[in-house]
Amino acid sequence: MSDSTFWNEDWMKTQQKYWENWTDMSRKAMGLEKPAKSPLESAMEHWWQGVAPGTTDFNRDFMNKMMDQSSSFFRMAESYYQNAGESQNWLDAANRTINDLQQMFSGNLENIFSGTENVGDDALHKMMAFWEMPFDNWQRMVSSLSLVPGDLLRNMPHSDGMERFLSAPGLGYMREEEGQYKQLMQRVVTYQRSLTEYMRFFSNLGLLSANRLREKVQELVEEGKQIDSARGLYDLWVSSSEEVYGEQVMTPEYAKIHGRLVNALMAVKQKLSHLVDESLGGLNMPTRRELRTLQDRLQESRREYKALKAEMELLKEQMMELRKPVPEKGKSSQAPAAAKKPAKKKVSKKKAASKGGKG
Amino acid sequence: MQPFNLRPDQLAEEMLDYSRKLGKGCQNLMNAEKIDTGVTPKVEVYAEDKLRLFRYEAPADVVQNKVPTLIVYALVNRPYMTDLQENRSTVANLLAAGQDVYLIDWGYPDEADRSLTMDDYINGYMDRCVDVVRKRHKLDKINILGICQGGSFSLCYTSLHPDKVENLVTMVTPVDFKTPDNMLSAWAQDIDVDMMIDTIGNVPGELLNWTFLSLKPFSLTGQKYLSMVDVLEDEDKLKNFLRMEKWIFDSPDQAGETFRQFIKDFYQNNGFLNGGVQIGGRAIDLKNITCPVLNIYAEQDHLVPPDASRALRDLTGTRDYTELSFPGGHIGIYVSGKAQKQVPPAIGKWLDERS
Repeated sequence: MSDSTFWNEDWMKTQQKYWENWTDMSRKAMGLEKPAKSPLESAMEHWWQGVAPGTTDFNRDFMNKMMDQSSSFFRMAESYYQNAGESQNWLDAANRTINDLQQMFSGNLENIFSGTENVGDDALHKMMAFWEMPFDNWQRMVSSLSLVPGDLLRNMPHSDGMERFLSAPGLGYMREEEGQYKQLMQRVVTYQRSLTEYMRFFSNLGLLSANRLREKVQELVEEGKQIDSARGLYDLWVSSSEEVYGEQVMTPEYAKIHGRLVNALMAVKQKLSHLVDESLGGLNMPTRRELRTLQDRLQESRREYKALKAEMELLKEQMMELRKPVPEKGKSSQAPAAAKKPAKKKVSKKKAASKGGKG
Repeated sequence: MQPFNLRPDQLAEEMLDYSRKLGKGCQNLMNAEKIDTGVTPKVEVYAEDKLRLFRYEAPADVVQNKVPTLIVYALVNRPYMTDLQENRSTVANLLAAGQDVYLIDWGYPDEADRSLTMDDYINGYMDRCVDVVRKRHKLDKINILGICQGGSFSLCYTSLHPDKVENLVTMVTPVDFKTPDNMLSAWAQDIDVDMMIDTIGNVPGELLNWTFLSLKPFSLTGQKYLSMVDVLEDEDKLKNFLRMEKWIFDSPDQAGETFRQFIKDFYQNNGFLNGGVQIGGRAIDLKNITCPVLNIYAEQDHLVPPDASRALRDLTGTRDYTELSFPGGHIGIYVSGKAQKQVPPAIGKWLDERS
């Protein structure tokens, strides 16, 4: 990052290249030929790949988020730009752009949850980074709860045949252990089903958002207002999506889907913890279950100790109060307010005992 | 009239301008490495386990209210939100309004804190902090200012220890957890909290982050970063943004047992309204709260909707209940310039009139 020419020259060269690509694209949009690749893809990403390694983790994460959003923003502008070039009618151009958004959204999610997404879909995946946010956030969260990056469980193989196999009873000496692993796999399958359900819910959201955007555009026409920047179009798309999202996730249907997803993930983790504990126990090592029992008991002892300590402090204060000389008649005591009313601190033996008795 | 007025040359210019800002902003970002938070000088006056109790240094030229105010922040996120930077500090403005300010920093619970219950937090840590402040000032009662979940804790505390609270201020505090517009509550209804806590112990901050970001995913994880380009060029504005960014993702894990009770008693059973909440073996009844109450809520709060806070007005036993609404959001009420001018001075005035 110390090389200032990078900022002053390389960046502007990149932008110059980008500008040229735009011009080039405008020619193509007029019908000469189709652009092979988004100009942003080749310019901005190339630049960012050069810069990213020199940044701190915090800044890199932050800038990655910005670059993701910038990409979505630019692609939206490009989509409109192309459609505007191909049509003389604003309504047609707007509809084409909205249809693009709608198709990109539903098409991509369909690939993801049908398991047909492959390396070739990467560009499409990036294109839709914005619209996968709720799902992407979930994956990040799952990743943070796991030893391996990403949502490993999502891509584990599963089918109806697998479920039938898992429901078959175990046999022989290892039947109990086999049963435990089958239970784990059953929970993984349940999680995958919940995740698919969750993603399908958001695919509908994309369609509804596109319709909402159409309505908002129509409202603009009726109010005699105009969008005069790509940013304005982007913001309208965001507010359409957020509105629809807000309505949909407040439905009882979503609450159930959300609950099932979280509960299914927890069920998998619970079974995994159990199996890990079994293995640790077999190695004569302390297990998490044992550790938690000790934690609970320790906290119980600390509660009792703190209650007793408070009670002793109170008794000390009361003793000090009693040791003070009794003021002569007619003279008022100068004792501070807190010391005057020690009884206000209600830590009775009964309460201390009840506190100590809590699990 | 056409709804779009987007000429190709305009679009290209806009994109180029955006790119220019991004490039310049990136340079500023590399230079802005250290982010300071918690700017008002303070002294640690009490420590217990991971908890720290701080007293803030008041300006020498301001006459202080004799009754100190203890700020009780939520367990979620960090309390430096109240003292984010010099020109965005609720604490500094409370001091300027003549209040003697203390604050509880709950710290970062780890696996060893998993067994901490609401009883431990409210009748334990919080009560001991109140006693420390009472003792230091030789007072029977002090003022409490509870924020968000800390406000709910403060309501529980005042219900259990009414003899120790002179005045209660609640800020963006959930009271009715089942208003129709409460998205968090809607999502919490079908979660098996027992299985969750039995499985993961403490609740990771990442899980809370995901939940909060999921409330408005397109704005909070997308649009925000695009808007950021407009302030990247300005180093001060960039630092402000980064401070907020740090705060948002600085999420302590939640002690499992406390989380279990809080979700079940409040989010699932709406305990302040329906009753049934027991802390330390004693029932929580808001009618026990007879001290003056100032209830502050934000009109555009997406985490604690206004109705969720306003429900308090009919539930306490006080005859001196005041509401203050602020035209902003859950975070804006601490950090916006407008809030700084309005909210802390209003709190100071209200407290001065009563203590």
